[in-house]
Amino acid sequence: MTHVNSSQPAMQNQRRSPLYRRHTELKAEFESLGDASLVSRYGELAAEIESAAQLGLADLSALPRIGFKGAGAPQWAISQGIKLPESPNHSVVQDDGALVGKLSHQELLILSDLAGSSALVNSLEPVQIESLKQSEPAAQTYHLPRAHSHSCLAVTGTAAAEMFSKVCGVDLRSHKFAQGQIAQTSLAKINAVIVRHDLAETPCFYVLSDISTVEFLWDCLLDAMQEYAGVPVGVAALRSLAARG
Amino acid sequence: MKLLTCPLNGPRNISEFTYGGEYHPMPDPNKTDPRQWAEHVFFHDNEAGIVTEWWCHSASSFWFLAERNTITDQVIRTFEASELFNQRVDFAAESGDNS
Repeated sequence: MTHVNSSQPAMQNQRRSPLYRRHTELKAEFESLGDASLVSRYGELAAEIESAAQLGLADLSALPRIGFKGAGAPQWAISQGIKLPESPNHSVVQDDGALVGKLSHQELLILSDLAGSSALVNSLEPVQIESLKQSEPAAQTYHLPRAHSHSCLAVTGTAAAEMFSKVCGVDLRSHKFAQGQIAQTSLAKINAVIVRHDLAETPCFYVLSDISTVEFLWDCLLDAMQEYAGVPVGVAALRSLAARG
Repeated sequence: MKLLTCPLNGPRNISEFTYGGEYHPMPDPNKTDPRQWAEHVFFHDNEAGIVTEWWCHSASSFWFLAERNTITDQVIRTFEASELFNQRVDFAAESGDNS
C-alpha cells in the first residue's frame, strides 16, 4: 500500500478517524493511506520531530490492524507463517514490519507498520478471513475486526512513561516495561491495551482502546501531557524518528 | 489501594475487576431437574469462610477464579479457569418440552 501526501482537509470518500474534527481544528495536513486518511503533520516537520522525541501524541487509527481469537488461533497463525511471542502480553516484530502481540494464550493482535505497508496485515484481511469462515468450527479460530472496534494512538518520547503515571496504574518506565511488552489495563478510566514499540531510540507506546472512547482518551492524554509540553504530532514525525535507528 | 492478582496480567487495582459470583461445578445436564438448574444458576451459598469465585479483569475480558476468605477478605490464590475447565462440554440436543 502506498501513501500520497495531500493537503487538508482529508479527501472525500475516505475513511476518517473518529478524531477527524480534532485534527481539522489543529489544521492538520492529511495523507492518503489506502481507503483512509491519516494525519501526516500539524505544522513544521522538524519542530514536530523534536516534540515527538520529547512527548507527542499521534492518531494512528487509520492504520490497518486485525485480531484473531480462539483455541486454534495460535496454531493457525503459525501455519500462516506468523512469528508468535512465547508468552501472553508480549509482542514480536515480523519480517515485514508488522507487530504481532499475544493478548492471552488464545488471542492475537496484529498491527501494521507506520507506512501501512505490512503485507501480513493487508493480505490477512480478505483472504484468510474468508477461509476461516468456511473452515470447520473445530478449527476454533475467529476473526476480530480490530480496525473497526478499536482506535490506535501512539504516545512517544522520553517523558511518555512519566506522563502515563498520572493516568495509569501500571509502571511503564523502561526498566519495568521493556520493548515489546503489553499491558492491558485502565488508562484514564478507559480499558486499554498498551504496547511498547519504540521508534529506534525514542520510547513509543501504542494505545488501543474502544473506538467510541477515543475522543475522551485523546483529550485526557493531551491534558496530562500539558505539563511536559506534549503536543499532537503526525505520522511523518514518527516515521522520521523510526528511521533514525 | 486494594490489589488483586490476575493470572494473565499480574497485580492490578481492584477497580479493574468485576465480580462474577460463586463458582459451583456444573451438575450433569442430563440428570438435572429445573429446580436444580435454577439453584446452580441463580442461588449462592453465601458461605462465611473460604469460597471459590469468578472474577473478570475488565481491561482484557479475562475470566478467572479466586479463592477468597469471605470473613477476612483475604485472597488465598487466583488461578486460570483452564485448571478446572480442561475439556469441551457438548450438550446433547434434545427436543424438550418448551411449554
